[in-house]
Amino acid sequence: MSVDRNMRILVVDDAQTMRRIIVNLLRQLGFTNMTEADDGTTAWEKLNAEHIDMVISDWNMPKMTGIDLLKKVRESEKYKLTPFIMVTAEGKRENVIAAVQAGVSNYIVKPFNAATLKEKMTKVIGMF
Amino acid sequence: MSTFEHLSLSQRIAALEAAEHGDMIPAEQVRELVAAVKTMFGHQADKPNTTEKLYSELGELAKFINNAKKELQEVKGSTIAEEHLPNATNQLDAIVQMTEQATGRIMDECDRLTMFHTDLRERLIAMDPPLDPDALAGVDDAINQAAVSITHIFEACNFQDITGQRVQKVVRALQEIERQVLRMVVVFGLMENKDRLDAETAAELQEDAALLNGPQLNGQGLDQDEIDSILSKLL
Repeated sequence: MSVDRNMRILVVDDAQTMRRIIVNLLRQLGFTNMTEADDGTTAWEKLNAEHIDMVISDWNMPKMTGIDLLKKVRESEKYKLTPFIMVTAEGKRENVIAAVQAGVSNYIVKPFNAATLKEKMTKVIGMF
Repeated sequence: MSTFEHLSLSQRIAALEAAEHGDMIPAEQVRELVAAVKTMFGHQADKPNTTEKLYSELGELAKFINNAKKELQEVKGSTIAEEHLPNATNQLDAIVQMTEQATGRIMDECDRLTMFHTDLRERLIAMDPPLDPDALAGVDDAINQAAVSITHIFEACNFQDITGQRVQKVVRALQEIERQVLRMVVVFGLMENKDRLDAETAAELQEDAALLNGPQLNGQGLDQDEIDSILSKLL
């Protein structure tokens, strides 16, 4: 089954630069349908307001962190199986374990490149 | 050698405490005890007062941090300094802002280049008479290579997010160090200057020391003038 390049991807990061980098890399990988949120709370509102096929989220954010957003997503019936990739500058072992326990689909440490993003996405949604 | 001499100081004191009213205590024993106590205190008196020394060093450290902040504030002549800087931590914040803006401009230009390439490709395909297929393939290949380079530029822009987060950590660490040092200065200052300070000033300073316990939020805690005022009272 081929990956739908028009899948709706929610990019969550409090840094606008980082959101723009991720969105651009996704565009380079052929994805066309991205939306953004600057913290977990806004992301959760977007998740409830529309259908999202995949979440790529930063860990450290004001209001609601990435790990808290992940927990909320996994608790919801609608999104409990939705691919969720965590992107963070802190590659701490305990954070990785906590994210895995919370149900993260994959984990990317910043800085990263398009090849890494593609590799992790392939593991989560299949070849594209 | 007296029988008292082989006992430790605490044993000698215990022996004297055990004596009952009317017991005769040899003058020699009392002299030995007094001599031992004098030796002990005399020895300590030769050392500098540790608390005073620590207070003095903390005071110097607080002054150093305070002066460093002022010096950073006084750096004039650059746009950054004039536009962004009330204090040292604000300068670091300004660095984050400026790199973010610069990164944004770099990415804007990358987006424009991508648009130019797309436009160029469409024009070449639409040319009449049509371009030689090999020539068109060559140009298309060059455009694809340029797109890869643009992606690499976007990847390199990761630096802004990473450095921004690191600078924020340094800012938080500096604020915490400053707060803790100042709190110690106030606490030691109250101890060292208790005879000099009137009750009202001491109470004010005690209140300030309590305020310095928690993390400072915008509009809360002490501002620079209040910090200067505390230092001027104590140092």
